[in-house]
Amino acid sequence: MIDFLNYLINGALVGLLYALVAMGFIVIYRASKVFNFAQGELVVFGGFIVWWMVLAMGMPLAVGLPLAFVAAAVFGLLIERIFFSRLVGESVFAMVMVTIGLLILIRGLVLVLFGAQVRPFPIIFPLKPVIFGDILIPRSLLFGAILTIIVGLGLSWFFNRTRPGLRMTAVAEDHQVAMSLGISVKRSIAFAWILGALLSTLGAIIYLSGKSLSFLASDIGLAALPVALLAGFESIAGVLLAGLIVGIIQGLVTAYVDPAVGGAVGTVFPFVIMLFILFVRPTGMFGWKTIERV
Amino acid sequence: MTENRRERVRMSVLKHAPIAAAAVALGFLSAPAGAQTTYNFASMADFTGPYADVMKDLLGSRRPAIEWWNAEVGQKLGIKITFKDYDHRYDAAQVASLWPGIKAELNPVAVLGLGGPDVAALQGRLPGDKVPMFMATAGYGFAWKPDPWIFNQRPTYSHEAVAFFNWLREKRGGSGPLKVAIISSEASPAYIDQQKGIEKYAKDNPDKLEVVESVFTEVQPTDLTTQINRVVRKGAEVISIQTNTAAVVAAKRALQALGKNVPILMSSHNGVLDSARAIGDIKQMEGDYEVYAMAVPTDEKTPARAFFDMLAAKHGMKAQWTVTAVQGLGQTVVALRAIEATAKRVGADKITGEAIRETVLTTPITADQMFSILPGLKFTKDAPFPVSGLTVSIGTIKDGKYAAAAQGVPVPTLNKW
Repeated sequence: MIDFLNYLINGALVGLLYALVAMGFIVIYRASKVFNFAQGELVVFGGFIVWWMVLAMGMPLAVGLPLAFVAAAVFGLLIERIFFSRLVGESVFAMVMVTIGLLILIRGLVLVLFGAQVRPFPIIFPLKPVIFGDILIPRSLLFGAILTIIVGLGLSWFFNRTRPGLRMTAVAEDHQVAMSLGISVKRSIAFAWILGALLSTLGAIIYLSGKSLSFLASDIGLAALPVALLAGFESIAGVLLAGLIVGIIQGLVTAYVDPAVGGAVGTVFPFVIMLFILFVRPTGMFGWKTIERV
Repeated sequence: MTENRRERVRMSVLKHAPIAAAAVALGFLSAPAGAQTTYNFASMADFTGPYADVMKDLLGSRRPAIEWWNAEVGQKLGIKITFKDYDHRYDAAQVASLWPGIKAELNPVAVLGLGGPDVAALQGRLPGDKVPMFMATAGYGFAWKPDPWIFNQRPTYSHEAVAFFNWLREKRGGSGPLKVAIISSEASPAYIDQQKGIEKYAKDNPDKLEVVESVFTEVQPTDLTTQINRVVRKGAEVISIQTNTAAVVAAKRALQALGKNVPILMSSHNGVLDSARAIGDIKQMEGDYEVYAMAVPTDEKTPARAFFDMLAAKHGMKAQWTVTAVQGLGQTVVALRAIEATAKRVGADKITGEAIRETVLTTPITADQMFSILPGLKFTKDAPFPVSGLTVSIGTIKDGKYAAAAQGVPVPTLNKW
């Protein structure tokens, strides 16, 4: 029973980490209707910036981390300025293809700037777990979950209750209509990319605290994909619930089913659940239903 | 012949003598070059994938070894080996896509393989194309088939691991089985294969080995505290991680978080030094182990180290003296010795991939021929790796320094899984 509880809690916390990364997908999608294939690479880039500031440059965490967030924001802005500002009004397909190119570009950029070596990532959160009797809660995941819930609720409020957030929602609906209403599409998309880069850097900090950093970290983008799809690509609060569902299912399947069948189920199972829910409800659990009138 | 005519002939000979001499001299000088036959190796590489960080040492050791062989051995035989690197990003699909181009461009007599993707993509093609491949890695259970065209100078990762477990059990003393936890991953068939081989040995030898649990994680684990806590509670005496350095670092952090000290076993591609670099401090790997059927690259004056130093002094070796460099050296020297033996068997100008394979299957290569980088190798048609007479070396961190914990540890019999 204790093992079950441990795996349940661990799965829920990992799921909330996936939800944080999935938020990166969602903020970019909400502003531009673009599915960003390079989300995992943004996590890697954010991680390398943190490593560079804190370990390579030797800055204290209190200085290195804020600077890393600033650098990530600048990187997000650069991505928008160089690639996406020219694509306003173009087809979504063209923008999605650019994100695939971006994936390859970021990988190359990281290799050129930081080298191919596996790097140690600084210990941001204390290693010692929180212990309640026989229940162990990894501190980085616990703090990460708290941060994810705060950020998720904050972003949900921002997108649904504030003017800039609602403007971004209008941009997501239709670039032409948003422009005709006097909304700056470029500014909204730029803000979305900045947010996406910031969320990815926060995700990298929680995910990699005290561990090692290499390209393998980009796999978390893939792990977060069923969370984003399950929630529906528009709901930020919904992604928290989707994260919990995916994380708990994955954690329990990996703990109890994988050893029995020799592996491979834990990774696949969230995608099976995702496909099942999309089959029943194509917009995801909380996605917008679009009604088109001809 | 009149005096005048004789004089004209003499003058003509004198006039043309330098040209004739030059022509003869040129002929002599160019004779060996003309007799030299060039053969190509395809050198598989990963410059942009998960093993990009170790390519400098792996490829850096291949080049000087080939250069040395061309100068010292090939020239006498009338053979020159050239090679070209191909980046496949450690992706089987990329290997499959590159292979037709490699054949057309290079017409290689052998391939210097890198890892699982090469095996997965080419094991069905090489017999038809009649090109053998020499690997740097240990073998795989899923490729343990007769009539090989792919040759691993090391047995499977599972063979290497169980040799270590037997050694550790003897070192521990007592009669019970050694309790092992395995950290595996579904990310690669090779990782599952390693785990299944160890489990097979434990099943066949319950008096020697007990697998308390096999834990499955991502290639970059999020957190392993819960999992490690469980296997420690089950009494694991060693944790086997033959996947990658990220998993080693995550397990080590989990052990540190729990305040436990259980040694971790690693392999050549994620060894103690690589993992120490990934965690940021060699001292944190104190008491952990790595195992492989090759020489341990310590600072001791061994024949392997002397060979490496000679390559550094005379042939521009740029690689560091690391496990990866030993891997690169081992596979290249095996391939070169195979060429050498084939030339003696069929003639320097008649070497083909098929002839090289025949040689490898019939001619043992001694440890001396490989400067003790590898133990003596005797390949048979039963498996892609030698099935008898193999030994492993065990590396560790002792008092903050990299050291050989044991060498020449015998590899036990492990049935197919």
